[in-house]
Amino acid sequence: MRNLLYFLRKHYFIFLAVALEVISLVIFVQYNAFQNNALTRFSSTMSGSVLDISNDVSEYFSLRRANRILAEDNARLHSNRPEAFYRADTNMFYRKDTLYMLEYRYISAKVISNTTNKRNNFLLLNKGRKQGIQNNMGVIIGNRIVGQVISVSDHFSWVMSLLNKDSRISGKFKKNNQLVNIEWNGGNYRYGEVKEIPKHVQIWRGDTIITSGNSDIFPEGLLIGTVHEFTVAPEDNFNRAILTFSTDFNSLSYVEVIIDLMRQEKEEVKGTFNPSN
Amino acid sequence: MTELVFKNIGRFLFLVFLQILILNNIQLGGYINPYLYIYFILLLPWETPRWLLLLSSFLIGITIDMFTNTPGLNAASSVMMASFRPLIIRSLSTGTEFLIGENPSLKNQGMKWFFNYSLLLVLIHHTVLFFLETFRISEFLMTSLRMILSVVFTMILIFGAEYLFYSKK
Repeated sequence: MRNLLYFLRKHYFIFLAVALEVISLVIFVQYNAFQNNALTRFSSTMSGSVLDISNDVSEYFSLRRANRILAEDNARLHSNRPEAFYRADTNMFYRKDTLYMLEYRYISAKVISNTTNKRNNFLLLNKGRKQGIQNNMGVIIGNRIVGQVISVSDHFSWVMSLLNKDSRISGKFKKNNQLVNIEWNGGNYRYGEVKEIPKHVQIWRGDTIITSGNSDIFPEGLLIGTVHEFTVAPEDNFNRAILTFSTDFNSLSYVEVIIDLMRQEKEEVKGTFNPSN
Repeated sequence: MTELVFKNIGRFLFLVFLQILILNNIQLGGYINPYLYIYFILLLPWETPRWLLLLSSFLIGITIDMFTNTPGLNAASSVMMASFRPLIIRSLSTGTEFLIGENPSLKNQGMKWFFNYSLLLVLIHHTVLFFLETFRISEFLMTSLRMILSVVFTMILIFGAEYLFYSKK
């Protein structure tokens, strides 16, 4: 027993080092497995309050750009209003009917922390559960995608940016609706990778890729990017391409969180039918 | 003694804020991300108790993690780095006396010693950090490239700080 105590005292440094290392690794692994735990909530509340102050200062430097994006968005929305259309058929009239139901609602939120230089990037938003934000909601800017909410506290939320190794977006070519997957492989934040393009699909530089609407996170038709260059791999079953993201991740100041009003209904339907059985 | 403690607490806070408010926002082609906060671990005084060395490294790592939504990542890298510090100090003999209340510095130990000392520790820290963050064999070359570029940039910042704050005394 005395020898054991002596041994422990003599080598306590190694034991302490190993213990702390194991604790860190457990936190690291646990955190990835269980999102939205107490630790994240503490982290987002604490860092939220500090980074909010720092953002109050840095916000002024991006106002010009934020204004331009908002103005563009306004113009797009104005051109979609009924008044913007010329009525060719004078017999047509509007009727309030039940054919249209509201499916998506959008909440504007301020980005108070954002990185693009790490392998896994996250954004911190200044809205949280009290404002109606929940896990797995999509985040966009205008009609371009940004990421998805992964954890919420009462007043803040962490968003997993598209620039993350766990991020995988289901997209399609706008011209022929061919489904593809979009990932980010690290490095430059402006370029992503399009995976699993079937061999028979003709690709050109500048082809637009939009969201497919297959996942419940993003509605169909949001811009992801345009093809920058592509490689034909003869030995592989699929072609690959590099795309330029439509979103400039380095200058995000205000984003919109998508609230899917029919999400519960969609999940219920999925729960009743399991294709694997 | 108390002065020494406060000096190190001040350095801790200053480096944490520098890291989260400025250095994390540096954008150079998407490859470079300096981690100057580990300068705190490099500069802990010689006679720091070894348990305190480990605990304070864990603390600075987990604090940075809180602000970047990566719990455990920086903590694991910092603890790994801190556990190698005594070994590296022992193996790089200086020939100079370690004075009570002093810390490793460019001025006292000379260019060659301080360069080797900080390079080895920065390498350990960045290796753990970048490979744990990516955790994919298929991106080995890309991760190595990003790691080496960041090591270079962190080293430049450390030497810049050494010349700026500690050379004229």
